Amino acid sequence: MTVRSAPRAPRATGRRRMAVLHIALVLFALTQLFPLVWVVLYSLQRSGDLFGNDLLKLPADPQWHNYARAWTDGQIVRYGLNSLIVVTASTVVSTVLAFCMGYALARMRWRLKRFAVAAVVLGMVVPVHATLLPNFIWYGIFGLIDTRLGLVIPYVAFTLSFNTLVYASHFESLPDALEEAALIDGASWPRILWTIIAPLATPATVTVAVMTFLSGWNEFIMANTYLASDELRTLPFSVIRFEGQYSSDYAVQFACMVIVAVPALALYLFFSKHIMAGATAGSVKG
Amino acid sequence: MRGDPSRSRITIAWLMLPGLAVLVFSLAVPLGFSVYYSFTDWAGFGDYQRVGLDNYRAILTDDPVFWRAVRNVVVLIAMTIFVQNPVAFALAAVLSRLSARTSRLLRTAYFVPAVLSLVIVAKLWVDVFNPTFGILNKLLRAVGLDALAVSWLSNPHTSLAAVIWIILWQGFGWALLFYYAALMTVPRDLEEAARVDGASWSQTYRHVVIPHLAPVIATVIIIDVISAMKQMELIYLSTAGGPGQLTQFLGVYLYQKAFVSGEYGYGSALSVVFVVVAGGLTLAVQRGLRALAR
Repeated sequence: MTVRSAPRAPRATGRRRMAVLHIALVLFALTQLFPLVWVVLYSLQRSGDLFGNDLLKLPADPQWHNYARAWTDGQIVRYGLNSLIVVTASTVVSTVLAFCMGYALARMRWRLKRFAVAAVVLGMVVPVHATLLPNFIWYGIFGLIDTRLGLVIPYVAFTLSFNTLVYASHFESLPDALEEAALIDGASWPRILWTIIAPLATPATVTVAVMTFLSGWNEFIMANTYLASDELRTLPFSVIRFEGQYSSDYAVQFACMVIVAVPALALYLFFSKHIMAGATAGSVKG
Repeated sequence: MRGDPSRSRITIAWLMLPGLAVLVFSLAVPLGFSVYYSFTDWAGFGDYQRVGLDNYRAILTDDPVFWRAVRNVVVLIAMTIFVQNPVAFALAAVLSRLSARTSRLLRTAYFVPAVLSLVIVAKLWVDVFNPTFGILNKLLRAVGLDALAVSWLSNPHTSLAAVIWIILWQGFGWALLFYYAALMTVPRDLEEAARVDGASWSQTYRHVVIPHLAPVIATVIIIDVISAMKQMELIYLSTAGGPGQLTQFLGVYLYQKAFVSGEYGYGSALSVVFVVVAGGLTLAVQRGLRALAR
């Protein structure tokens, strides 16, 4: 380590380096957003404009009817409603079950807890894709293939472990004596959970609910495997629909991608604080 | 400390059993199914024969596509750890010293790809890489690099790189977010003390900040490894493993074996291998990093 004699010099080079780093920051932000900007711009033009030589072109004559066609041909209403039903149901169930498990794991003492923890961790490690084939057979036995329930169950299963850990780490941070007074007064467990614990768990609940909703809203491969009929398909299939059918109508496809992306983006912008908190819940604590 | 035990026992059952039931129903049972069918030659319908370890033997000794998929996962892990992570760390370090507002705005922008559906991300890049109207080739032609304007996803020389780029692009926001959150936990005076002692930025980071964050970095690397193993949709929807199985990954391969070629027995064995490799690798990386940290 060299000790610098002139303290001003390094500060100046430091500042210049910071300027370079700032440019890098902006360049990377552009890399992350550029393809999206491209898609939005060309979603408002004629499909033929895409084959011109311009890199980016502001739509001089916005073709709003691209969006109208994407809306109807992409079955946005039907698929969107399907998504809303399946994802809302799985979010509610996953959140409630994770709340219960997180509480029992973090704040109650019992034997066999080790095994329960192992089951929860298993849920984090097993890849969804390794369960697609066996579950296709297994769900079939119960008539769950091509039903909404047959999608809700795996959506709950594959979000439950993460959600349980988020709740558990939140509950561990609450003071120990919290429930004691109520227990001594003879309050029942459901009452304690509902009136004392649930209000204190609100930040974790928002994080868990938003993350679960978003992951279900964006999910594709389970829906692609377990659903067969068009009536039940979820929103990502709006984008897939265009692949064969209208494969040359790029502007309409772009419009469809924008329509499907907007709800997730809105949810993200509105809840970004909670999403970021949830995303890092597991990592920073270690 | 937590109430009278006999009453608690019933409560614990009520709290745990529904959740555990879902996990058993959708995770444990299917794994059992996979193990059972992996010893058969079932085609998804009709009779099947028990074939012992034949499927596993075939996967490990006689399936170049499987090994190609393993190789691709290793390449992806390496690119994540040695390219994506350092860039994300560097940007997070700069972000951590900007004003709260600017940093928040930029972080929001970086994370946008991470909240989009993988269907949209895949389609987006299929279009960007499109040889005739894709923006990438237009860009290359505009700066005179016509020779580089290839059909990125179907050219055997570029397809793997293109697919890995899509995955890294989508995951970049996560890496940045993890490192940003970690950097915010470094006590300011720790850094300042080093600076006062005359350490340069790079020295401060190398000798103070990074050692302080070693456990977090280790956790992020574990997350990287797990998520690289689990990549499937982006590949399935962009190249489907092609051209000529060059961009094959485990998740895509077993899906195609099971649902396209109807080799349920073989697909089941691949599922079991997938779980074992994912679990084993996670444990190994965890152990290794813990040993390193000591």
